[in-house]
Amino acid sequence: MSIMLRTALIVISLLTLWYTARKIRKAQLQIEDSIFWMAFPAALVILSVFPGIATWAAKMLGVQSPVNFIFLAVIFILIVKIFSLSLRISQLDTKIRTLTQEIAIREKLQQEKKEKDTAASA
Amino acid sequence: MKVLIVIPAYNEQENIERVVDDLIQNYPQYDYLVVNDGSKDRTAAICREKGYHFLDLPVNLGLAGAFQAGMRYADRMDYDMAIQFDGDGQHDPQYIEAMAAKMEEEALDVVIGSRFRDKKKPLSLRMMGNQMIQLAIQITTGVTIKDPTSGMRMFNRSMIREFAHNLNYGPEPDTIAYLLRNGASVQEVQVEMKERIAGESYFNLKRAVEYMVRMCTSIVLIQWFRKRRV
Repeated sequence: MSIMLRTALIVISLLTLWYTARKIRKAQLQIEDSIFWMAFPAALVILSVFPGIATWAAKMLGVQSPVNFIFLAVIFILIVKIFSLSLRISQLDTKIRTLTQEIAIREKLQQEKKEKDTAASA
Repeated sequence: MKVLIVIPAYNEQENIERVVDDLIQNYPQYDYLVVNDGSKDRTAAICREKGYHFLDLPVNLGLAGAFQAGMRYADRMDYDMAIQFDGDGQHDPQYIEAMAAKMEEEALDVVIGSRFRDKKKPLSLRMMGNQMIQLAIQITTGVTIKDPTSGMRMFNRSMIREFAHNLNYGPEPDTIAYLLRNGASVQEVQVEMKERIAGESYFNLKRAVEYMVRMCTSIVLIQWFRKRRV
């Protein structure tokens, strides 16, 4: 890995960390969601500070150069992250649907009860 | 036997009155429930003015979510049968009796109001999709459903509960395929359907092709992975 690339990775990672911290401070991000955005750039910093890790891993996997290993690892992690987000969206979708249905049904039952009461009192 | 007619309605201001008034006047033996799926037009206002039974979904959920809301209501009010019924007037309520009778006599889970049980399917572009889905169901379940895309389907008590509380139970042919493969009993009753009188049909060519591709993929590939929890 060239010194330029290592510096760039470190700078971008630190920027990401700073941005994540800012979002937490402004209460725009839940702690559970922020953990990924802390751990991911932290891992990139470690890989940049100790380039030996990437060199070793690249050799083990038969990847041509250490930088290719970094790309591979990042792509893999992001795909996993996207999938987990997709899962979250599915769950949120289900919750919103249930809530919407429940609101409408309760409103209807209340209406029916009211009609019954007025009919009884009349 | 308590029967609930579930009528999902999205922007049906032109049709809803005609459909519901017909049910109220000519079929008082059935209960009905309009599910207004967050319509942008006067559908909800009409229901309120006329004092119809209706659920008013605060946001648009799409057909599956709207129908499920009706099933939830049916489950809570303990209906024996629920029928999916179009808000645009293409379904004819006179066939409900035959469908309910068949369901009761043969203890069926699902009865489909079918345009092609006893009649030949016309060779049109639109029916090609219908035929493809029929084939997909045939291959994967071994059962022939001659009108899988019919939107007029009746469900029994246990199906109502299942539809009310589960994910991926849209009122569509892939759910029928899934149920068939999991041992549900499904039969068809011959019905006639009318052309939609007013308003705009949801289906144009692009949507029809998309629908067919989605259904076939779902039936042939995805349904295998599902596990039925009853």
